[in-house]
Amino acid sequence: MNDAANTDRWIRWLNTVQLVLAGIIIMAPTVWMVLSSFKPSFEVTAYPPTLVFTPTLENYAELTKTTPFLSYALNSLIVTVGSTSLGLLFGIPAAFAVSWTRITWPAILTLAARMAPGTLFLLPWYVMFRQIGMIGSYTALILSHAVITLPIVIWVLLPSFDAIPRSVFEAAQVDGCSVTRILWRIAMPLVASGVAVSAILAFVFSWNYFLFALVLSNGDTKTLIAAAFNFIGEGSTQWGALMAAATLIALPPLVLAALVQRWLVSGLTLGAVKG
Amino acid sequence: MSDSAATLTQDRQKLEMAALSAPAVIFTVAMIAFPVVYTIWLGFQTFSSTGKQSFAGLANYSKLISDYEFWHGLWITIALFVLSLVLQLVFGVWLALVLFHAKRLPGIVRSLFISPFMMPPVVAGMMWLVILDPSLGAANYVLQSFGLPSSDWLASPSLVIPTVALIDSWQWTPYVALIVLGGLQSLPPSVYEAAQIDGASPFKTFQRITLPLLLPTIVTAAILRSVDLLRFFDIIYITTQGGPGNASNTLNIYGFRVGFEFFNIGYASALMLTLTAIVFGAVLAFNRLRGAVAW
Repeated sequence: MNDAANTDRWIRWLNTVQLVLAGIIIMAPTVWMVLSSFKPSFEVTAYPPTLVFTPTLENYAELTKTTPFLSYALNSLIVTVGSTSLGLLFGIPAAFAVSWTRITWPAILTLAARMAPGTLFLLPWYVMFRQIGMIGSYTALILSHAVITLPIVIWVLLPSFDAIPRSVFEAAQVDGCSVTRILWRIAMPLVASGVAVSAILAFVFSWNYFLFALVLSNGDTKTLIAAAFNFIGEGSTQWGALMAAATLIALPPLVLAALVQRWLVSGLTLGAVKG
Repeated sequence: MSDSAATLTQDRQKLEMAALSAPAVIFTVAMIAFPVVYTIWLGFQTFSSTGKQSFAGLANYSKLISDYEFWHGLWITIALFVLSLVLQLVFGVWLALVLFHAKRLPGIVRSLFISPFMMPPVVAGMMWLVILDPSLGAANYVLQSFGLPSSDWLASPSLVIPTVALIDSWQWTPYVALIVLGGLQSLPPSVYEAAQIDGASPFKTFQRITLPLLLPTIVTAAILRSVDLLRFFDIIYITTQGGPGNASNTLNIYGFRVGFEFFNIGYASALMLTLTAIVFGAVLAFNRLRGAVAW
C-alpha cells in the first residue's frame, strides 16, 4: 500500500516537472521580448545577454518619436472596430436564422474564407478596389477584415442560439411576436455572453490579421501589423524599439483573450469541437 | 387556425428568416464568391508589362507545370506542413496529457497557455527574429552554455524551414493541446477504471484505450491546423520573405510575390487557385479519415 502511494507521489511529481518545463518553453520568448523592450539600448544587444538591468522607457520614447506609431495604432483600432461591428451586424441575425431553420449553407459559405488562402481574394480585390479608387481607404480595409470576423461571429454564436429551448420561441410566436422581434427581445439577452465572446474573438483576429492591410492600405491608413516592417530596421541596431513595438502590438489581443480564456478554444474551432 | 392561415404565417416566417440571413449572404457573395469567380477568369489572362490585359487560354497553367519555382514552392509548402503538423500533434497530445493529470488548472495558467496563439503571428515573427539572431541572439547563447553547437536558424537555407516550423509549433502546440484536453475530459471515466481493474500499465492504457478514443479529436485538430499550415504566410513574410534565396518560398509567399511584387496578376491567380485546390483536397482527405476513426 505504501509502495502504491509512493509511486503515485512520484507520478504526480513527474507531471508537475513536465508542466513547469512546458510553461517555461511557452513563456520564455514572450518574457524575453518584454524584458528587451525595457533594456537600455546598449544592453539589448549585449552578448552574453543580460537578465539584470536598469529598466528604461527609452525604447518606447524612441518608437513614438521616430515612427508614427500612434497613428498606426489608431488605424488598427478603426479597422478592427469597424470590421468587428460589421461582423456582428451581419453575423448575429444570420446565426439566429441558421440555428432556427437548420438551413446551414449560409454559415458554411462564410467558412470559405477560413479555408482559402487570403491571396486568392486579395488578387481580385486589388484589381477591383483599384478600379474604383478605393485602395488605401478605411472602407476597403474594414470590408476585407469583415471577411475574417463574420465566420467567427456566426460559428461562435451558433451553439449559443442552439442552446435556447425551442419552446421559448414557440411561446413568443403564439403571442404574435415577429421573428425579428423574437431575435432582439428574447434571444439576444439569452446569448449576450456568447455575443461578447464572439466580439472579442473577432476583434483579436481582425487586429492580428496581416495580409490584407499589407496590400490594401497606404501610408495614411497602414495598420500596426502591416507597419511591422517599418520597425524592423537594418541589422540589430533597433532591437529595443522593435521589441517595444512588438510588445505594444501584442498587448490588446493578449489582454482581451485572457478575459475570455474559458470559452476561447471551443470558439476558435468554429464548431468542430464542442467545448 | 385554418390551414391557409397557418401556411401564410409559415411563408411569412420563411421570408423573415431569409431577410435575417440576407446581409451575411450578400456580403459573402460580394466579397468571396464573386471575387473567386473573377480570379478564375483572371487565371486565363496575361498582363503585359504596361498592364494591358489579354486572353491567354491555359497559358498560365502550362507555365505553372514547367515553372521550377512552383514545384519548389510546392515542396517547401508540403515539407513545412508535414514537419509542423507532426510536431504540433505529438507535443500537443503530450501537453494535453500533462494538463489532464494536473487536475486543477487555475485561470492564470490557462491564460498563459493561450498567449502564444492569441498574439499576432507577425509579433511572434518579430520576437523570434531577435531571439534567433545568429550572432547576438539569446537562443544560441543558451545552446552554447549547455555545450551545444549554435546555428544560423532563419539565415541558413537548410535550416530555415525547420526553424519556421519550430516557431509555428511554439505558437500553436498549446492550441492543439487545449483541443485534445477537451477530448480527454469528455471521455467516460469508466473506460479507465475498467483498464485499471484489468491491471493494464499506464502506457498500455494510453496506447490501447485513450489514443484510439482520442483519434477523432486529434484528426479535428489536424484539420484546423492543416488549413493554416498549407497557406502559411505571416511568419515567413515578416522574417525571411521567402529567403534566404528561395529556401522558404512557400506557394502562398510565391503567389503573393508574383501578384504584388511582379504584378503578374494572371499567373498569381493560377497559382492561388492551385493552392486553394490543395487546401480543400487536404480537408476532404482528413474529413474521410475522421469518419474512419469515429466511434
